[in-house]
Amino acid sequence: MASQAPPRKTMTGKAVARAPRDVAHEGFLNHKQARWAKVSGALTLLVIAVYALTDPIPRHNGGTWLGYTLGTLGAVMIVWLSLLGVRKRVVGAKPFSLKGWTSAHVWLGMSLIVIGTLHAGGQLGWNVHSLAWLLMMIVILSGFWGIHLYRSLPERLSTNRGEITQSQMLEAIRTLDRQLDSAAQPLAAADAALVRMSLAETPIAGTLRQRLGGDHGSDGNARALAAVAERVQARRHAGQADDRLQQIQFLLERKAAALAQARRHIALKAQLELWLYVHVPATVALLAALVAHILSVFLYW
Amino acid sequence: MGFVIRQIASRADGSDIVRTRTLARAEISVGRGTDCDLQLADLAVMLRHARIAITSPGRVSVEAVGGVPVELGGTFVTRADLALADTPAIDIGPFRLSLAAGADGAVAITAERVVPPIDAAQAGAEAGIFSLAGALPTKRRMAWIGAAVVLIGMLLLPLLHVLGEDRASLPQAMLAEARRPATPGQAFGDGRLQLPKPRPATESGFAPDEVWSSGPLSNAHASLANNCGACHSQAFVSVTDSACQACHMPDALPDHALPARMAKGRVAAGGIAGAAHRAFNLPEGRCASCHKEHEGEATVLTVAASFCTDCHASLNRRLPDTPAANVPDWAQHPDFRATLVATPSLQQPVFTRAALNGAKEHSGLIYPHALHQSASNAVANMAQKQGLPTGADGALPCRACHVPDAAGQRFQPIAMETHCGACHDLAFARDGGTLRTLPHGKPEQVAGIIRDFWASRTARADVQIFPRRTPGLFSAAPAPVAGRADAAVVQVFTGRAVGGKGICSDCHVVTNTGSASITHRFAIAPVTLNNHYLPQGRFPHGQHKSFNGKTGEAACLSCHQGARTSKAATDVLVPGVANCRQCHGAPVTSLLAAAPRASDSCDSCHAYHDGAPLPAGHRSTVQPAATEAGR
Repeated sequence: MASQAPPRKTMTGKAVARAPRDVAHEGFLNHKQARWAKVSGALTLLVIAVYALTDPIPRHNGGTWLGYTLGTLGAVMIVWLSLLGVRKRVVGAKPFSLKGWTSAHVWLGMSLIVIGTLHAGGQLGWNVHSLAWLLMMIVILSGFWGIHLYRSLPERLSTNRGEITQSQMLEAIRTLDRQLDSAAQPLAAADAALVRMSLAETPIAGTLRQRLGGDHGSDGNARALAAVAERVQARRHAGQADDRLQQIQFLLERKAAALAQARRHIALKAQLELWLYVHVPATVALLAALVAHILSVFLYW
Repeated sequence: MGFVIRQIASRADGSDIVRTRTLARAEISVGRGTDCDLQLADLAVMLRHARIAITSPGRVSVEAVGGVPVELGGTFVTRADLALADTPAIDIGPFRLSLAAGADGAVAITAERVVPPIDAAQAGAEAGIFSLAGALPTKRRMAWIGAAVVLIGMLLLPLLHVLGEDRASLPQAMLAEARRPATPGQAFGDGRLQLPKPRPATESGFAPDEVWSSGPLSNAHASLANNCGACHSQAFVSVTDSACQACHMPDALPDHALPARMAKGRVAAGGIAGAAHRAFNLPEGRCASCHKEHEGEATVLTVAASFCTDCHASLNRRLPDTPAANVPDWAQHPDFRATLVATPSLQQPVFTRAALNGAKEHSGLIYPHALHQSASNAVANMAQKQGLPTGADGALPCRACHVPDAAGQRFQPIAMETHCGACHDLAFARDGGTLRTLPHGKPEQVAGIIRDFWASRTARADVQIFPRRTPGLFSAAPAPVAGRADAAVVQVFTGRAVGGKGICSDCHVVTNTGSASITHRFAIAPVTLNNHYLPQGRFPHGQHKSFNGKTGEAACLSCHQGARTSKAATDVLVPGVANCRQCHGAPVTSLLAAAPRASDSCDSCHAYHDGAPLPAGHRSTVQPAATEAGR
């Protein structure tokens, strides 16, 4: 490698050469050739080895020298890991890139499973100490979930979205609504009521369950479409084809398609966000539990 | 006459567009249809919804014509007459028509949308639609709530409980139990120390500070589960010995040694560990340094063997005057130094500790084991005649004299009457129906009884004098001559009259004091029988009844090997430490066994809280052996 790259000292002026960079995208998991994965793995192995090679009296727990060491290490790591929430709000902060910071966050966070569990010596009970452990595990496992989602969902999100943006999706539905509204102006009351059903009783997002499942059952638009289609059919059979109503059916169909796309987008976005609704509040609760855990140990020293 | 219609529409930026038209008619139509005079473009409005007509100056009528009523001040009507002076308002769908008297007798109608259109309701809601913010409380709020719940439940409430709590009261039952002296020599190693049954926690119920417990308490302390303050008496101060000794009185549970010597003998933690102990206020040598609580049912009593050798491996380096030899581990455990009777005494016998090799004990008794354990001599013969228990070979078994104590640890004290009396009978005459016996241990009384008996005997024909049946002196002595009472006394004590031994001198060293008084002429040397040769350890004989497949007598003899050949009571028949190592700490003999054949932990034999053995010159709290002197 050294023979290929020109010695940097000789560079002069600005932008003589592009910074060496892999052509392929390097995600946060294998940032810098998975540097933090290696650090985390080595740390985990070291902790397991020390744990296995020591035999404290009466047994491993948070009260042995190893227990206090692992506890201190774990607490410092937890505080640092939670500072990602601060770091990501400071754009362009130095010296480490946000990607590097995230990579360390993920990998060191995984090693906390071993550090935290061995700190406790596997002892669990109904107390503040095990609560801290439980919250830590919830945070870490929700983090795993988030990593999985970040690896799988963006591709589906972009496939579903095609070339349009979020606001274009909404605008499409609104435009159809306006078209429906004006197209329905000449209609008789009963037909107009169906269009109103589509306009008034069709929430796009809905509850958490509806967002995640994308299942809105028969919303106003679906019911209106079914009823309008039935009427169009009936009038055609009666030999009184109703062009205006047919136009309404066409618009309702287009709205249904636009809604479906938006809702798929919403479902993916909801999944992408939901883990953070576990991860972040559980992290803050964990920090609180950590304070209670450490203080109570010294209070009842 | 006519209508002035002002239609107000909202721009996207919120400002209004007002369009005014004047219709010179007495009646106008209102509806969604494009042919209406007042068009209201909303699907909630009928194509032709209503007619408004001027009925007289200042009065109008409104009539719903589309089959859907209009709303007037909250009520739905199909027809109504209205006075313009009242400035009535008619609601049709999302629109409100406000009527008033205009200039020149015209009717002014202001039509305004009062319910926003549907798509406008969704405008600006993009964030709520595409992010979960629209469906869940914000992450920040959830975080605050979660943190508050944790801090209140796990820190604040327990803290308030601690601050509001009075001095902890201790359960009476526990106090009483802790104040009982510990059974000496208990240890887990031999399985004799039983776990107490956990007592339920006291009735005060759940205490908020229980959530700070790092694990279940041991069975012994289980009833303190909701009484944290019983031990954790001061915040930020590690549990002190005074908390333990509130129940465990030093009298009942003596310390291992004097605290000052303990502190001197301990290897002080150095380096990081020592610095950490000092920094976090964890003094060493506390009860809790060894006895770790909150580790489950038994662990408060569990300490490791290395705990002993921490100090004892090199104890003499820190305590040069210690009488205890260094013990780095079981394999290097020094041979036993038995506690032996040096000077027998009825009042204050003197004991000494001596190496087993070549040790001699001076109990003051004459007792050859070999003679009494023979299978073929007069002793064996007599034992059979007396109906004493004998072994298969006809010899007296060990248990004839060495009767196990109730605990199965050691043996009941040897008593002359019980263990020797069957053969060494002190009866000397049948006086009428009464058997006359000499009192053991009272030489003056014996001399007096014999003298008086002989002095009076000539006048008594009904007294039958036994030929002495003493073993070894069977019928050898002729009956003493009447009137020679003093000679009879001499014979009892020394046997000198017949050239052999007397009754007493069979077993005792008898000295002639030369006193003129016959009752004080003979003195018996005091006897002290040792009943615990290794008082710093414990050897539960009851658990060692078999050895290498041998049981009973053979098992005894496999350790006490000299018992059948020893010709003098000065022989010390206690086996050495090498004997123990045949099993304890010995390597496994079968492939399947994982552990040594017997435990090699210190607490198999030694206890910690048995009291302090002290070097010479210190007041000894150890009573090595009860004395059986003078028997």
